[in-house]
Amino acid sequence: MTRMLLSRLIQLPFIVLAVYTVTFILAWMVPGNPLENPEGRRPPPEIVAAMQAQYHLDDPLAFYGEYLAKASGVAWLMGTSPHPFDLGPSLRQPDWSVNEIIETGAPVSMRLGISAMMIALAIGIFAGVVGGVRPGSIADVFTQLISIAGISLPSFVIGSALLLLFSVKLRLFPIGGVSGVESLFLPALTLSLPFAAYISRLVRFGMIEQMRSDHARTARAKGLSQRQVALHHALKNAFLPVLSYLGPATAAAMTGSFVVEKVFAVPGIGQHFVEAVLAKDITLVMGIVLVYSTLLVLFNLTVDVMYRWVDPRIA
Amino acid sequence: MKVLAPFLLLLAALIATTYLDPPLPRADLVILERSDCFTLDPQRMSYQHEIRRGATIYEGLVALNPQDCSIKPGVAERWETSGDGLMWTFHLRHNAKWSNGDAVTSRDFLYAWRRATLPETAADYSGFFFEIEGAEEFFQWRVKELADFAARAKESSPTLADAQALWDATEQRFRDTVGIRAADDFTIEVRLRRPLPYFLDLCAFAPFSPVHRASVETWTHLDPASGRMEQSHGWTKPGFLVTNGPYVPTVWRYKRDMRLVKNPYYWDEARVHAKTIEVRVIENPNTQVLAFGAGGVDWVPDVGPEYKTEMLAQRRLYEARHAVAIGAARDRGAELDETIRVLPPPTDGERRDIRALNAYGTDFFSFNCRPTTTNGAVNPFADAAVRRAFAMAADKQALIDRVTRLGERVATTLVPPGSIRGYPLVEGLPFDTTRARAELATAGWIDRDNDGFVDDANGNRFPTVDLLYSTASPRYQNLALALRDMWRRELGVPVEVRGKDAKLYKEDVKKGNFSIARGGWYGDYGDPSTFLELQRSTDGNNDRGYKNPAFDAMLDAAQSEKDPAVRLEKLAECERFLFTEEVPLLPICSYVTVYMYDPSRLEGIRDHPRLEQHFDELKRVDAAASEGAR
Repeated sequence: MTRMLLSRLIQLPFIVLAVYTVTFILAWMVPGNPLENPEGRRPPPEIVAAMQAQYHLDDPLAFYGEYLAKASGVAWLMGTSPHPFDLGPSLRQPDWSVNEIIETGAPVSMRLGISAMMIALAIGIFAGVVGGVRPGSIADVFTQLISIAGISLPSFVIGSALLLLFSVKLRLFPIGGVSGVESLFLPALTLSLPFAAYISRLVRFGMIEQMRSDHARTARAKGLSQRQVALHHALKNAFLPVLSYLGPATAAAMTGSFVVEKVFAVPGIGQHFVEAVLAKDITLVMGIVLVYSTLLVLFNLTVDVMYRWVDPRIA
Repeated sequence: MKVLAPFLLLLAALIATTYLDPPLPRADLVILERSDCFTLDPQRMSYQHEIRRGATIYEGLVALNPQDCSIKPGVAERWETSGDGLMWTFHLRHNAKWSNGDAVTSRDFLYAWRRATLPETAADYSGFFFEIEGAEEFFQWRVKELADFAARAKESSPTLADAQALWDATEQRFRDTVGIRAADDFTIEVRLRRPLPYFLDLCAFAPFSPVHRASVETWTHLDPASGRMEQSHGWTKPGFLVTNGPYVPTVWRYKRDMRLVKNPYYWDEARVHAKTIEVRVIENPNTQVLAFGAGGVDWVPDVGPEYKTEMLAQRRLYEARHAVAIGAARDRGAELDETIRVLPPPTDGERRDIRALNAYGTDFFSFNCRPTTTNGAVNPFADAAVRRAFAMAADKQALIDRVTRLGERVATTLVPPGSIRGYPLVEGLPFDTTRARAELATAGWIDRDNDGFVDDANGNRFPTVDLLYSTASPRYQNLALALRDMWRRELGVPVEVRGKDAKLYKEDVKKGNFSIARGGWYGDYGDPSTFLELQRSTDGNNDRGYKNPAFDAMLDAAQSEKDPAVRLEKLAECERFLFTEEVPLLPICSYVTVYMYDPSRLEGIRDHPRLEQHFDELKRVDAAASEGAR
């Protein structure tokens, strides 16, 4: 276990470096100049030239190296930067550093993503168990249909429908902002549906398999009820594929869904990321990608650790 | 039970993130903006909503009266100007305070205005400060000195002392050569390079606001490598930000919200209505309207979705039903909101919570006036007759009725009518297809082979018109398509539309890579020159490449006129010349801005075209109370 943890942690910087490099090349290829306001007055050319020089926008290699040194903390260790993980100033938002943007946006996205994953797990496992215990039953067909809808309906459709029904017509939930649990419920529900649908299919498939397995038959022979067999014996094994799916899924949900954030006006980093790409705000794009890839690697690691704990056969 | 572990882990994370981001109570006034402020540094402000926020948290020497855009005292309680209009002396009130209790002094203004003329501040509006004597020369001098410093730095590595020496010289030079001086702590003397009748209007403009020197300087440092005075913007964040206006921001979260709290030290504090204001950012226009409909929002200053035209139609139904009452009140001189507030509420299919207001801007299409196109071919639009023909062949009323559908006013010139006191109404070219075809013929473009397209004397067809627009809004695309059809039909010219993403469109416009391109302009200050200077040969926003020494001379003559009334008349003459003879651009309509607010719940919205809404004048009224009063 310790060896696994260590080797994975050593791999982390290399994975992130690879992601950083690829993103950097792609971001640099986006046409346009981040210092130019799409609308509004033009600064004098001297000013643009000075800013280009200041941010090394005239020299991609210098930008690549300096940004990496500051973001990774190397510059801090060498004493050339006052902060350990400095993701630089946003090129489009003069008053904000990338760190500040991520600090204000990330908790919102994370809260949304986490709530969505909790809802997804609850719905997914329940639907999967109900369907998997009696495949072909009405309950199974019903949950299957719902899960197909969950996967195939785009979230802007579901989101808008939920908004219209619960916020505008019934006035149960507020719109916009993230003032409390009630404002987060609809976006979390919308974001959770595709994940819930996928989880329910994983669980259902696992349950069908497990309920037919030898150990389930043995348990039933010992006189356990169908429910006990399902919940205590089958579900534990059927849950394993969900666990491995949970790592990347939680990372994806937490780092924000652009569409859900847009529809519900949730000020998370998913929105900021897409806007940064469009505005060629290279530092912001790089910063969010770095945070996302680090999170992804860490979540996968957490899942692997849990996997070993849930299923001791994997050493 | 191990199945529950991921749940518990997620729950712990949820509690942690909630703790990191606690909710706030509802503010007295909630405003929904479509985009966040880029900066709270007044010298760097550029966007309209940002400038408005600037006027909310800062106060300049003078301020605008939102009702009629006249000038009222700000930090300066009185001022005088010399007979030649070059010297201005401002006397500051002694009770003007910063939000930390410090007195606002003339030195704060000096410091702020000097920042605006430093190249490293990158102030979008630095050009406005160049009206101060010596400011432009100072800016250029500093640019050159910094370039020399950078060149020297390549050979030998400079030290902080070198940068400091340059900075000391810069400060000295500003004191010696730039025409602004603090006679004492409460007197400012400004010397202009030319008389500027609208100078007070500039002084009311957010970029001319003072900044609190001590807090800004904490965040600036000299960079020994470049010699530049580097400024980081930590001081614009709540907790560090010190302001002198009616409000001070206490929370500012990126593209999320800003919370403004009444500044307890503001000298005119008694006049300020709402104690707390929340400005929430919702970028999705549809969600914005839904959020307003769900309640809890008092004002949406920029309503976005396309279906706002249908909502405005419902407003017209409501106004039509009460036309008599509204007309009578208007004749009495009452404001529309006051009248509507006491009318019965709208019935089904009607609404009164949306309103289209004329704005201080004009929607237009630019003609490329350069002699050749980017690929070196002769540009037919270099000929003013061709431009006049295209302008007269465009049926603007049809465009408004069928495409933009916001009830805009047709524009034939650039300055929105009625927006500047004392400025006469100037008429440009009318819609007249017969005259349009005649103009095109005088330019030598006639359909010689009867194929439906006009040709020149050698029988060459009119080159395909490259009509460029940005895909940022369907409005531009629809306008471009409609214009294409009008020009094809009325003039017999081949037109092709080319939609580009906003950024690429901007680049093409800058390079002059178009025949006709979508454009638009909002005025910055209350003088026609804010629109007319756009056509000056050397102007940085002259996208059209329109260069006419005769027009520049006319503009100079008008600008240097001493008598304000004669000056406005001369500027009107310039505009007349532009839009009856030269037509460097094709005005379509005055812009309108669509607001959502319920007049029975919000007071203080003004309808002057400059749309100077001051947050401190907005007041939420209890609907029940106003019903009772009725």
